[in-house]
Amino acid sequence: MPLLVKVRSFLRNLFSFRRVEGDLDQEVHSHLEMLTEENIRSGMQPKDARRAARIELGGIEQVKEQVREERLGNWLPSVISDCRYGVRQLRKNPSFTAVAVLTLALGIGATTSIFSVVYGVLLRPLPYPDPNRIMAVFEVTSKGRPSRVADPNFDDFRDQSRSFQAIAKYNDNVASVSGASQPTRTTVAGVSPDFLKVFGIQPILGRDFDASDAKKGAGPTVLVSYGYWKQQLGSPRDLSQSHLKIDSAVFSVIGVLPAGFRFPADVDLWLPADLDGENPSRTSHNYNAAGRLRDGVTVEQANQDISVIARRIHDTSSEQGDYLLKDGIVLPLQDSITGKARTALLVLLGAVGFLLLVACANVANLLLAQASVRERELAIRSALGAARGRLIRQFLTEAFLLSLGGGGLGVLGALWGVAGLVALAPANLPRLESVSISIPVLVFAFLLSTAIAAGLGAFTAARATSGDLREGLVEGARGQAGSQGSQRVGRVIVVAQIAITLVLVVGAGLFGRSLMKVLEVNPGFRVDKIVTMGVSLPWVDDPKAKAGQGIFFSNLIERLKQIPGVRKVGATSGLPMNQDGGLPDGMFLLMAENEIPKTMDGFGALLQQKERIGIADFCVATDGYFQVLGIPLIRGRIFDERDGANSPHVAVISEALARDRWPNQDPLGHTIEFGNMDGDLRLLTIVGIVGDIHEYGLDTPPRPTVYVNLFQRPRAATTLTMLGDADTRLVASAARGILQDLNPEIPARFRTFSQVYSASLGSRRFNVILIGFFGITALLLATTGVFGVMAYSVSRRTREIGVRVALGAATGDVLKMILGQGLRTVFIGVAIGITGSLVLTRTVESMLFGVTATDPLTFGGVTLLVVGAALMACYIPARRATKVDPMVALRYE
Amino acid sequence: MNSEPTSLLQGTLDLLILKSLIAGEMHGLGVSRRIQQITGGTFVVKPGSLFPALHRMEEEGWISSFWGESENNRRAKYYRLTKAGRKQLEVETKRWGRISWAIAQALEVS
Repeated sequence: MPLLVKVRSFLRNLFSFRRVEGDLDQEVHSHLEMLTEENIRSGMQPKDARRAARIELGGIEQVKEQVREERLGNWLPSVISDCRYGVRQLRKNPSFTAVAVLTLALGIGATTSIFSVVYGVLLRPLPYPDPNRIMAVFEVTSKGRPSRVADPNFDDFRDQSRSFQAIAKYNDNVASVSGASQPTRTTVAGVSPDFLKVFGIQPILGRDFDASDAKKGAGPTVLVSYGYWKQQLGSPRDLSQSHLKIDSAVFSVIGVLPAGFRFPADVDLWLPADLDGENPSRTSHNYNAAGRLRDGVTVEQANQDISVIARRIHDTSSEQGDYLLKDGIVLPLQDSITGKARTALLVLLGAVGFLLLVACANVANLLLAQASVRERELAIRSALGAARGRLIRQFLTEAFLLSLGGGGLGVLGALWGVAGLVALAPANLPRLESVSISIPVLVFAFLLSTAIAAGLGAFTAARATSGDLREGLVEGARGQAGSQGSQRVGRVIVVAQIAITLVLVVGAGLFGRSLMKVLEVNPGFRVDKIVTMGVSLPWVDDPKAKAGQGIFFSNLIERLKQIPGVRKVGATSGLPMNQDGGLPDGMFLLMAENEIPKTMDGFGALLQQKERIGIADFCVATDGYFQVLGIPLIRGRIFDERDGANSPHVAVISEALARDRWPNQDPLGHTIEFGNMDGDLRLLTIVGIVGDIHEYGLDTPPRPTVYVNLFQRPRAATTLTMLGDADTRLVASAARGILQDLNPEIPARFRTFSQVYSASLGSRRFNVILIGFFGITALLLATTGVFGVMAYSVSRRTREIGVRVALGAATGDVLKMILGQGLRTVFIGVAIGITGSLVLTRTVESMLFGVTATDPLTFGGVTLLVVGAALMACYIPARRATKVDPMVALRYE
Repeated sequence: MNSEPTSLLQGTLDLLILKSLIAGEMHGLGVSRRIQQITGGTFVVKPGSLFPALHRMEEEGWISSFWGESENNRRAKYYRLTKAGRKQLEVETKRWGRISWAIAQALEVS
């Protein structure tokens, strides 16, 4: 029953609002009348009786308001009326409202955009069942870094560990695939049979791999991605007729994976790994490994488990040396994918958070000025019965209207911002495809707006309702005392703004200087006017077939040289700056001229002799490659016609290797054995030394490298480089035609070398552009903040300045006074900002290049910039102060 | 009576209103005067406390209201106890008894 009564009251309060109000009004009035009559009966004069009754009642509106406060569901109409009143207030000051909403929209929009990237890349769970149970398993190198696993080590992990319900190894590479439609370069993964079990998924059509598929010599089978099945195979329900020619073998399609499953990134085809048998070496790290934890097993336990096995391998293996694992480690797969991007993204999030703070500070200052204009209004409302709580709620409501307006606009802007970020993001940022304005991002934006609203509202309410409101009613009062206080608060806000801005701009400066320093590095090669063409032939093992591939490339290069406008043509196994993985590295052996190990085992035995060992990257190239990239010959010679397939094999080494391995010696004429890289045990005679190049990016030092001749050591996957003045598109289409002509089944990928080069700077450019943008925006906001506070202070002090001028103050004195006041504020802000920067820039030290985190030039320059901007913002109001006419100023009151 | 709303006083005010209405239906001023009378002038309930309490209690369903004529033929809003209100009066009376007993006990301890 009581509940029913309550509901009825609630509904009546809500829907018969007018009648309820009318009743209340009548009731209070009749009460007043009865009181008056009572007083008259007790002998008072009617006038006195009425007065006494009013005093006893204590104000009709106050009583009514008190009753309203008690009403069931009273919050609803009063919130609506607050909102209505708030909207009216905001519309009365359209320029204030526009500036506040746009400033908030900028801050919230930028923060939401960056958060959507952070969420998509770092936080969004991987799209597999129980993603947090999927772990990446690594070996730990002798240098303490995680690395990929070698086959026998993986087998030990799989067979001896007890922490995983499934564990699998995988790698990916680009292969030419034909048989579906056009021959294409497709990303193909080699996986061990339990791969899908690790991810907890099953084919939507057909079957998963089983142990028999992975046996050496089994009929080749392949799983395809949903997209590949639809687009390339034409989505057949019956897979028995689907076959794909991948490199040189024909594979039967046995299953289709669910839509959206593409792991590793961009893979369309999954084949059983090691169809040709495993690599028996414990130091050839060719696979990634991932496992799904057994129920109840923690990451820590799995880590222990793998570590014990790894150390056992380390202690017992015959392949001792730098390339043998030292330990093993287990990490959540998601962390291992996003690990490298983490710092950079968190730095960006921090930076945009600073921008948001500066924006909020500006709005807080605007609201503060607004509130002091409204002192009189507040006084009237409070005299009319508004309790303090009600006034505070009014401020909160207005702040909410502003923030939600700003948040809404900001989210709209973020839609555009996210598209921009995705377009701008460096290609090596993982999981970019999962970045979007999703529900969690919207929730974030809403919570952010709410938090800002609460902060701003509470702040202004606290400022505006402190002190005795009724003072505002006193005729002519300007609330001098209160506004003194609020000006002080305004200045504190400006100090904070300047400090935060300085930190941001210092950050932007450090990243900018790093980028400049990186660009100053001489890469060691030419970048312009080079077209690159990636070609992968089927992978072959047989020496005769390999030799055939050498001839194929030699023919191809001769034909490419005929393209009009192409001057030089070369080929390499590893294009510098290419982020596809880079060159393999390993240990080579110094050998006497006639000493040839007969087998790989013999090679392994020789590796025990430490004084024979050298370490280098292994690159297969042609003479033309050095010419196209302009890599200088330091001594000796590069490859030429003498170095045919059957002549003694030769090598060219980089300066860094000469320096490392043969200090104070002449490396020319030495012979080395590097057959562990390509299986060819013929010795290599060093015939030349070439200049160092920054293969892995300008910010990474050049590495010792051994170059061998493509015509002597053929290789299936190669990038051709063509130097010429002709239009790159014409060169590409001519080259495509030639390749088609030689072998129509081989696809190619064309890029200009400057694209490859430019992409390698992508991460740095991304950071500089974003943090630079945040810094400049914050600087603009802070400058307007300084300007606003100074202008307001001058307008408040018009009369005082008038008096000073009337008493003989010169223009210079006034200018000095106002500027001095402004500069004090600015300098405090700058001092705090510099201190803060010194602390905070340390966190980004690892992302800098060529500058220290406390680079004096950056700090000095940025300080000058910020002080200069703030000075300008102070100067304009100060100028205006000097124009005050004492007569006008004094009459004004 | 002070309008400071501590929970004890709040409960007391409800109890006094319920108690005064047991004598029959009356308007706001009547309730106020009745309380003054039955407490021997100790409590003077100001309209600023009285009306919010009456409206709240009506929403709770303890009292109901109707428009009637005052003794001077003036339109006035009258309040009367409901069944729930009588029950509430019993509850409040018991509660008050417990409290006053407890306070008395506390004060007797030397």
